[in-house]
Amino acid sequence: MALSGIQIYKLLPQTNCKECGFPTCLAFAMKLAAKQVELSACPYVTEESIALLAESSAPPIRLVSLKSDGYETKAGNEVVLFRHEKTFYNKPGLFVKVVDTESPEAIKAKISAADRYVVNYVGIELTVDGFAIEAASGDPEKFSAAVKLAREASKRPLILVSRDPSIISAGLKALEAGESALIHGADKSNWEVMAALAQEHKAALAVISTDLETSADLTEKIRGKGVEDLAIDPDTTGLGAMLTFNTIARRMALKKNFKPLGFPIIVFPKDLVAATQAISKYAGFVVIDDFKPDEVYPLLVLRQNIYTDPQKPIQVQPGVYEINNPNSEAPVLVTTNFSITYFSVANEVEGSGLPAWLMVCDAEGMSVLTAWAAGKFDAERIAKSVKGSDLASKVSPKRVVLPGHVAVLSGELEEELPGWDVRVGPREAVDIPKFLKEAL
Amino acid sequence: MSKYIATRAIRGSNALVTEAEFMLQKALNEKGPDAKVEFPNTAYYLPLTLGMMGLEVETLGQLNDVLEHARKLLHPVPSSRRWTPYLGETLDAGMATLLAAEAIEAIRYVYGLQPEPFPGFQLAGGTAFFGANGSTGEKGLENHLNGPIDDIQLRSWGIQLVDGRMPGFAAIVGAAKSNEVAVKIVRELQKRNILTFLCGNVNGRSIIDQLVEEGVELGYDTYTVPFGRDTLSAIYALGFAVRSALTFGGMKGGQARDILLYNRERVFAFVLALGEVDDLKYAAAAGAINFGFPVIADTVIPEILPTGITKYEHVVSMPFNEIEGNDDFERAERLVQKCIEVRGVKVKIADVPVPVPYGSAFEGEVVRKADMRIEFGGKHSRCFEYLQMVPLDEVVDGKVEIVGPGFEQVASQGSMDLGIVVQVAGRQMQTDFEPVLERQIHYFINGASGIQHIGQRDIAWIRVSNAAAEKGFNLEHFGKILHARFKTDFGAIVDKVQVTIFTVPEKIQEWLAVAREAFDFRNKRLADLTDNKVEEFYSCTLCQSFAPDHVCVVSPERLGLCGAYNWLDCKASFSINPTGPNQPIKLGKLIDPIKGYWTGTNDYAKVGSHGQVQEVAMYSIMENPMTACGCFECIVMLIPEVNGVMVVSREDTSMTPAGMTFSTLAGIAGGGLQTPGVMGVGKFYLVSPKFISADGGFKRVVWMSSNLKETMAEEFKAVAIREGDPDLIEKIADERSAATVEDLMVFLEEHNHPALVMEAMF
Amino acid sequence: MPIEIPKDKWPGSVRQVVLGATAAEGGTRTSKVVVGGETCMPFMHFEGAIPNRPVVALEIRDRRPDDWSPLLVKTWENVIDDPAAWAKAAEEVGADAIQLTLSLTDSAGQPMSPETAVATVKAVLQASGLPLIVFGPGQSEVDNLLLVAVAEATKGERLALGICEDKNYRTIVATAMANDHVITARSPMDVNLAKQLNILISDMGLPLDRVIMDPTTGALGYGIEYGYSVMERLRLAALQGDAMTQLPMLVTPGYEAWKTKESKVGEGVPESWGDWLQRAINWETMTAIALLEAGANILVLRHPESLKQVEAAIQDLMTAPDMVSV
Repeated sequence: MALSGIQIYKLLPQTNCKECGFPTCLAFAMKLAAKQVELSACPYVTEESIALLAESSAPPIRLVSLKSDGYETKAGNEVVLFRHEKTFYNKPGLFVKVVDTESPEAIKAKISAADRYVVNYVGIELTVDGFAIEAASGDPEKFSAAVKLAREASKRPLILVSRDPSIISAGLKALEAGESALIHGADKSNWEVMAALAQEHKAALAVISTDLETSADLTEKIRGKGVEDLAIDPDTTGLGAMLTFNTIARRMALKKNFKPLGFPIIVFPKDLVAATQAISKYAGFVVIDDFKPDEVYPLLVLRQNIYTDPQKPIQVQPGVYEINNPNSEAPVLVTTNFSITYFSVANEVEGSGLPAWLMVCDAEGMSVLTAWAAGKFDAERIAKSVKGSDLASKVSPKRVVLPGHVAVLSGELEEELPGWDVRVGPREAVDIPKFLKEAL
Repeated sequence: MSKYIATRAIRGSNALVTEAEFMLQKALNEKGPDAKVEFPNTAYYLPLTLGMMGLEVETLGQLNDVLEHARKLLHPVPSSRRWTPYLGETLDAGMATLLAAEAIEAIRYVYGLQPEPFPGFQLAGGTAFFGANGSTGEKGLENHLNGPIDDIQLRSWGIQLVDGRMPGFAAIVGAAKSNEVAVKIVRELQKRNILTFLCGNVNGRSIIDQLVEEGVELGYDTYTVPFGRDTLSAIYALGFAVRSALTFGGMKGGQARDILLYNRERVFAFVLALGEVDDLKYAAAAGAINFGFPVIADTVIPEILPTGITKYEHVVSMPFNEIEGNDDFERAERLVQKCIEVRGVKVKIADVPVPVPYGSAFEGEVVRKADMRIEFGGKHSRCFEYLQMVPLDEVVDGKVEIVGPGFEQVASQGSMDLGIVVQVAGRQMQTDFEPVLERQIHYFINGASGIQHIGQRDIAWIRVSNAAAEKGFNLEHFGKILHARFKTDFGAIVDKVQVTIFTVPEKIQEWLAVAREAFDFRNKRLADLTDNKVEEFYSCTLCQSFAPDHVCVVSPERLGLCGAYNWLDCKASFSINPTGPNQPIKLGKLIDPIKGYWTGTNDYAKVGSHGQVQEVAMYSIMENPMTACGCFECIVMLIPEVNGVMVVSREDTSMTPAGMTFSTLAGIAGGGLQTPGVMGVGKFYLVSPKFISADGGFKRVVWMSSNLKETMAEEFKAVAIREGDPDLIEKIADERSAATVEDLMVFLEEHNHPALVMEAMF
Repeated sequence: MPIEIPKDKWPGSVRQVVLGATAAEGGTRTSKVVVGGETCMPFMHFEGAIPNRPVVALEIRDRRPDDWSPLLVKTWENVIDDPAAWAKAAEEVGADAIQLTLSLTDSAGQPMSPETAVATVKAVLQASGLPLIVFGPGQSEVDNLLLVAVAEATKGERLALGICEDKNYRTIVATAMANDHVITARSPMDVNLAKQLNILISDMGLPLDRVIMDPTTGALGYGIEYGYSVMERLRLAALQGDAMTQLPMLVTPGYEAWKTKESKVGEGVPESWGDWLQRAINWETMTAIALLEAGANILVLRHPESLKQVEAAIQDLMTAPDMVSV
C-alpha cells in the first residue's frame, strides 16, 4: 500500500526549508506520494525515514534525459498504464536516423532540414528532438565524421547506434563537451565495455534484447557498474511483439516496482504504423528512418494528443481566427479556447465554406457551458476580447454571434458592446453551417 | 377485488367459453377440422392464442385445444354466501374470455362474418376486404368494418407507440351518452395523438354508429379504427397488443408472462367502457386487466382501486352525469383526461403556444425601460411566483385562469402587481420537488422573446417588451408557457399543470401569504433535513467524463463540491432521469457515525470509482476523504504546522500559506484521487454542521480567502455562534493577513485561534 | 533473471455481435462479420482470448458527396455516382464490410425519400455480398423515416442500423427488433453517456448481442485523445464486468480524419505539412491505428490505401507474438 502525503510528511524534517524546490514539506510529501519526485531531493531526510520510504523514494520508471547544447529530451517518470488514470508525463523524443554510409552532403541535408523543421499546432511550435547516427560502415573514422557532420548541422541530442564499442567510442569522442548522448546499445556480448564507455562519457545506454529476462539481466549488470541512465529496446519489427514487450515492461515497473525494467523504452519502428503504436504504447524514444513532413507532422501531433493531461484540457491560443477568408461582411463568431470546442466550431465553419471571424476567448481551456458555469466566459470577458481585437474596424455590419448555450449572456453583451448586433447561434457546432446559411 | 365484479366476470366467461364450444362444434360439423382458420394480412396466426399459448392455429380442429385450455382456466361462479373469489380467479376468467373470443371471431371468419359487414360504410384507410356482398368483386374498403389491424399498419403504429410519438391507445367499448359526446371523446383522443379502437354496443347501438351518423371519418388515416359493433371484436385490440410485444419486444409465442408484463410496462393503453356494463364486458375487462390495461367506465360500477396488476387503479367508475362540468362537452373532456391519468399516459406538447418566438436563444434578452410595455415587480410593484403540489383531482390540466384585469389598461412603461401560482399534480411528484420545479419558472419564462425574468419566489421581476405586447402577448401566455414546459421537461414527475395568475390585490395578498408560509416551510425543511434523517444519499457522476474515477456522494448536509447539486436536486434529477448521473445510494449499515462511514457509501465508492477508491469518509479530510473532479468551489487543505485547515476559493488567485496558489492546489485536489489532507468542496458545505466534523469541524479553519468571508459573512456568523465562539471569524486569517505559514502562525497566536489548542489532527 | 509476468485476469468479456446474415440464416450476404468476444485488453494475447479480429469497413455514399475531400473524390471517381458500383469496388479493395451513409437530399437536391433510400440499399446489397452498415443522414427525424423503411425492406439481412442516439434510439431500436437487425448506438465521448444509452436500449428489450456502440471520436489533432481514453475506459469497464459496457465498439476514423483541414485542403497550407495526399492518408491511417490500440472492433475508413495499412496492422497484431518469456 502506497503511503499518503500525510504519512510521508510525518517522516520528513518538517522544516519547510524549501531546498527541495517545493514551498512546504507537505507539498513535497504530496508530490512524493504521487511519485513525481525523488526523495533524494530532500537534503535533510534521515536514514531511518529513507528506509521507511523505500517504496515511495523513487519513481518506478527512471527519468532519463539526453542533453546537448541548449536542448534536453526527457523520458520516463511515468506512473500509469492508461493516460486517463493520471496522465502521461514525458513525451517520447522523436529522433530522425541517418546512416554513416550516406554521403556527407546527404547526411547534412537531411539533418539540416529536420533540424529546421517547425510546425505549428494549436499555437504550439512542434519540432523533432534529435538524431540517431547509425554506424553501417563499420568504420570508426567514418562514424566519427558523421557525428561531427551532425553536430555541424544541429545542436540537438544524439543517439549513437552501433554494437561495436570501438565505433561508439569514436562517436562519443566526436561529441561536444558536456552533452549526454544515448548509446544504442548494449547486448549480452558487449555490455561491459559499453557500460564503461557510458560511464566515462556520462552517456545513457540502451540495452537491446527481444526478451524481457535478458533485458532485465543486462540492466542489472550495467547498474552494477554504476550506470543508472538506461533505456530498453524490444528489438523487434513486429507490432504485436512490440506492444507485448512494452506493456509488460511498463506493468512490471509500475505494478511490481520491478526496477530492472523501470527504464524508458526506445523503439526503432519499421514504418509509420509502428511509430504510431510506439507513441501510444509506452515508447520513451522513437527513432524514425525517414524525414518526411507528411509523416513527422502527424506523429508530432499524435504525441501531443496522447500526452495531454486529461484533467487539464488542451487549450488553443485565444485570439481571432480567420476562416474561409472573411471580409468585412462576415460575422464574428464567439467561442472558448478549449481545444475540442474550438475544433468543433472551426471545423464546422470551415466545412460550411462560408467566411467568418472566429473570436476565441480565453476561458481557461473550458468548454462553453463549463466556462460559463465557472464564470470564465461571461459578457465582460467576451466584450474584452472583442474590444481587444481590431474587429470593430474590420467588419460592417458589426455582428457578433454567441453560442446558443450562453444565450443568457446576450442582454449583458449588448450593454458591453454598444453598436454591435448581438445574435444567438445554435447550441451545437453541427448546426452552425445551417445557422450561417439561414440566419445570417 | 370486488366480489361483484369477480362474480360477473366469472359468469360472463363461463357463458362465453360455452358459447364458443358450441360454435366450434357446429363449425367442425359443417366445415370439417381441416378448414383453414386465419385473420387477414397477419403472420401471427390468431395473435392472442399464439402469444398466450404458443399455438400456431391454422385449422378449425386446433381450436379444440384452445377452448380446452380456456375451459381449464374457468372457476365456478362464487356462491352468494361466501367471499372467496379473488383477483386470481377473475384474471383467469378474463384470459379464458379472451381465448374464447378470439376463437369465436376466427370461426366467424370461416363463415365470412368477419370483418363485420356494414353496408354503405367506407373506411378512411384500413384493411381491404370483400365487402357485404361477399365474394363478388375486388377487395376494398367499402361496406365492412375493419376487423383486426394488418401487420403493415401494426409495424407503423407499433414503432410510434414504442418511440413515444404515439402516447398510447384507447379501446372504447359501448356507446356514448349522445352522438355529440361520442364525437367529443374521439376528438379529445385524436388531439392527443392517441390511437382509438372502437367496438361494442349498448342495446344494439354502438359508438361506431354514433360517429358514422355524425359524419366522422373512421379508419387508419384518422387513427380511429372501427373493429366491430359487438363486444367480442374488442379482442382485436388485445391481439394488437400481443403482436406489439412479439414484434417490438423481441418475444416469442408462448411467453405469456413476458408479453403481459411488456404491455403493462410499455404499452399505454386503456379501456373506456361507455354505457351499461354487462357480464361479457366484465369478463372482457378482466382480460384487459391481465395486460395491465385499466378500465374506466362512465357508469356506476364497483371500483377496484388498489394498484396491483395495472400500474395504478384497475377499474374506475366515473358516472358521466356526475362528472363536474358545465355541459356534456366538458364532461367528455374530463372523462378522457381521467383515462389518461389512470393509465399514466404521458402526452408531450410540441410547441409552446405563444405569439412570440420561443426558445433558449431568448433566455438572455434584456428588456430596457425604453422598450418596455409593462413590468411586474421591481421598484414600483410586487410580483411573486409559487409552485404548489396538489392532489391529482384538484388540477385541471392545461387550465390557465386570470383572476383580475389584464395589463391592457396600464399605461405604457407602467407596472402592476402580479402573482403566478402554478399547481402541479403527478403520481411521482413530491413536496420536496416544489422548489426544484419552481426554480425552472425563471428559465421557462425567459425563453419567450421580449420577456425578461429576474429573481424568484416573492422577489420575482418580469418585464414585457413593447414588441411582445404588440404581437399579442398577454398574461395568459405566462400560463401557457409554464404548462407546456413543465409537461414537456418534467413529464416524468408532473402529470397535470394548472396556472392561476392573480392581478387583484386581495387575491395577491391571500396567495402571497400562502406562498410565504410554504417558503418558510421549505427553509425549515432544508434546515431540518439532516443526514441521519434520510435512508439514502445520492451519487453524482456528471464529471466522470474528465475525472473518470471520481464520484460525488451528495448528502443532505454535504452538497456536491461544484455547489450546483444539493440532495434535493439529486433526488429530483433521479426521478426525472432514472438512468442518469444521480443514483440513490442506500445507506445500509452505519459503520462509523463520527467519520461518516456506511456500508452503502463504501460499496458505492468502490463501484463508482471502478475500484480506485475503497472507502469514503463523509465527514473527514484526514482519512479517506471524498475525491474531487475539478469543479470544486473551494479547496480545503491541511496546514500541519498550525493544526488546522485553510480554505481557498476558486476566485482567489493569491498565494496561500501552503506555498501554492489555487491553480497549483487544484492539481493535487482534483482528478478523482483520494489525497488525505486535501479536499475540494462546495462553499455551502463550509457552514454545514457536518463540515469535517470528524476532524473538529469549522473550528479547524485557520485561514480563508477574504472573498469567501465577505460573500458569506452572515452564514459564517451563524456558524461561529453555533460553534460557541462568536468572534471565530475574526480569528481566521486570510491572504491580506498571512501569505506564508510563518505569518499565519503569528496571526493565530495573536488572535488566540482555537485550533492551536485543539487535539492534534494527526 | 526469471520474470513472473503480471497477467490481468478479468472477470468480464466483450459480447460477440454478428453482422450480416447468409442465405442459410435468412439473408443474402455471402460473408458475415463477427466482432467482440475478447477477454483481455486489445491484443494482450498472453492473458486472454481474442476470438475475433477487428474489422475494417469502407464508407460509401448513396450519391456523389458534396463535402468530401477532392482526393477522395478522385480516388473513387469511377464509381462515385453509383452506390452499387462503389460497394463492389470497396469489396474488391479488401473491405470486410460496407458502411453506407444516406444523404439528406438526393442528387436532384430533393429531400431523400424512403423509397429512394430503400432502392439504394437494395442495389448495394445486390452488388456486394459483404455485411452492410447503414447510417442515416444524422438528423434524427429523417434518420427515423429512412431507416424504418430500410429496415423493413431488408428484414433478415442483419444490417447494422445507425446512428442511434439518445434522441431517436427508440424508433431505430424498435424497427431493428421488428426486422432482426443490429444497431449502432452513438454517444458523445463519455463513458457514462454510452452506458446510459446502452441501458435505455436494453430496457427496450433489444438483446445486447445486437448492439454495437460508437463512443464517438475525434480525428488525430482534433480531440482523438478524448475518444481514445473513453474507449480504453469502456473496455476496462467491460472487462471488469460492467455488463452495460460489454459491447463491441465501432468508430469512424475515416469520417473524422477526412473532414480535417489537413486532409481537405491542399493549397495555402504550411509547407511543414508535407505532401497532401500522403498526409491525408497518414492522417486517416494513424487515427485508425490509435483507435485500434484503444479497443476498436470495427473501423470505418474511406481511402483504400489506409484500409490496406490498417488491415496489415490488424493481421500483425492478431498474431500472438512468439516471445520466449511470455
